[in-house]
Amino acid sequence: MISVWSIFLSFLKIGLFAFGGAYAVIPLIEEQTVQNMGWMTFAEFSDLVAIDELTPGPIIINSATFIGTKLAGVPGAIAATLGCIIPGCIISLLLIYLYDKYKDIPVITEAIRVLKCMSVALIFSVLLKMFISAVLPNGFAALGDIDILALVMTVASFVVLKKTETNPLIVMLVCGAISLAISFLK
Amino acid sequence: MLREMWLLFFNTFTISMTANSGYAMLGVIKNRFVDKYKWFTAEEMQDYIALAQSCPGPIAVSSTMIIGYRKLGIAGALSAVFGVILPPFFMMILVTLFYEFISTNRFVRIFITGMQAGVCAMLMDVVLGLFEGVVKMNQVFYYIMVVLCFLYVRLTKLSIFYLALICIAIAVIKTLFVKKKTEGVA
Repeated sequence: MISVWSIFLSFLKIGLFAFGGAYAVIPLIEEQTVQNMGWMTFAEFSDLVAIDELTPGPIIINSATFIGTKLAGVPGAIAATLGCIIPGCIISLLLIYLYDKYKDIPVITEAIRVLKCMSVALIFSVLLKMFISAVLPNGFAALGDIDILALVMTVASFVVLKKTETNPLIVMLVCGAISLAISFLK
Repeated sequence: MLREMWLLFFNTFTISMTANSGYAMLGVIKNRFVDKYKWFTAEEMQDYIALAQSCPGPIAVSSTMIIGYRKLGIAGALSAVFGVILPPFFMMILVTLFYEFISTNRFVRIFITGMQAGVCAMLMDVVLGLFEGVVKMNQVFYYIMVVLCFLYVRLTKLSIFYLALICIAIAVIKTLFVKKKTEGVA
């Protein structure tokens, strides 16, 4: 049995260095759990990534819970989850505290403006990756394999979100349901 | 106070249960807390997203910590963050039990792939909102920052941590420089 404490420390490390969202954290988890600790094989890890995409919730928490459960049952899951969120919790509180106190100081206002530019770039980059994987499932090498349904649904969903106050969750679930319905018709 | 704690918990809980990545959550968070409850303005929300992205760990955790803290202090931050981590936690423990079925089921996969179209549309909406914020700042400098940040993310494999530090450094230099210039004019 792997000690709950070492699981906690490993995920604390992942949580501390996981900047830039899910797609940046996957390699970090792989390095820590497969290469450094030898807790799972790469094949097991690939399965985990696929499952992460199939299940709701932030990918880091999903992986932490999955790996924690696998290694040491429910206590392992709790240790891993807490480990990966604690650094982010502390730093976000610190930042919002500083923001509340000093947001009218010119340097801080400017820093937030520049960070906003960064956030546009980051989200746009994730969007681009997701859009390409949704519309061109076989990549740029196979431009003929364009998924017209995904393209149409993306555009239609965007119009619905922009023009109406529809809850985005409903839009996502409807997209899933339409794909499923069309796969039955084929 | 208790009602607001419950609202924070309930909303982050349902959002986390249905959205399958942190980025997918951002649009829903805005929809609930800005459009529906009107707790924050769209501009404030953009600041919070920029701050949340400068934190390590899941963006779902940092963004909800910040929103909770702004609304109700530490109690709010904790209610919000528990809402976010509980669904994936229990879900993943269930998934480990039904691992085989979920990872191989064709229909589950079609549904999730279809949902991606909705996620893309929502991200477009989020990016557009953030970009409008950049446009409002009305300086070529910020457009250049967006492009440079995007190139950094796409072309280098370096951590976003350094990008956030670089952004803050640039902001400091810019403030000092602009201050000097205006003093010179006066």
